[in-house]
Amino acid sequence: MSDWMRKVLERKRATRQRLQALSFSEKLKLLEKLRERNLVIARSPLRRQQHHKV
Amino acid sequence: MKATLEVINRMQAEGIIGQYAIGGAVGATFYLEPSATLGIDVFVSLKNPQASPLLTLTPIYDYLTSRGYKTEKEYLVIEGWPVQFLPPGDALDEEALQQAVETEVEGVRTWVITAEHLVAMALNTARAKDFARILQFVEAGVLDADKLDPILKRHGLLERWEQFGVKFLRGPDASGRGNP
Repeated sequence: MSDWMRKVLERKRATRQRLQALSFSEKLKLLEKLRERNLVIARSPLRRQQHHKV
Repeated sequence: MKATLEVINRMQAEGIIGQYAIGGAVGATFYLEPSATLGIDVFVSLKNPQASPLLTLTPIYDYLTSRGYKTEKEYLVIEGWPVQFLPPGDALDEEALQQAVETEVEGVRTWVITAEHLVAMALNTARAKDFARILQFVEAGVLDADKLDPILKRHGLLERWEQFGVKFLRGPDASGRGNP
């Protein structure tokens, strides 16, 4: 594994630990933002076009 | 989410539902980093109408729809969040509900299924996304083997746990539970 890749994985692990350590209330606020973004993506005409192709 | 939980708590206070606990991806978020989900799975004990042996979600639907909340497939949309009410399907669900952890969301009291019960339930359901969630729990190091092992044993999931370990974590040459 390259140094670059090792650093990427370390940063990902650190971010996960930071998010895991948040309070439940803070995590749920992030969850709400994630959900709002998912809904925007789901409504996107581009996504619907892709869906029809499959 | 706070407003959603306030409505569910009101339903509990008014006797529409009994004990409840959040499971699924939202329940897992209590222990792990947040991951996107469509809705909230709420395990709920129901009161049988007039000593009927049949459990029904009708009182929940009646209560919520009469207050203007809409249904969306298997969900009831409460204050913007789709909520699926799930009566316990087996002894594991029942135990998970009984042993749920009390917590607060922005000052609102609520209950969440324990990490060990969420893992056992995921193992029981055994879809690809359930296995992915179990891996998240294992990698996060939040499982207590002293709690998980008895749950798996009580509900006949030890063999499945062993298979999960072999398939996803350690391969066929090692052994051990709790940290598969």
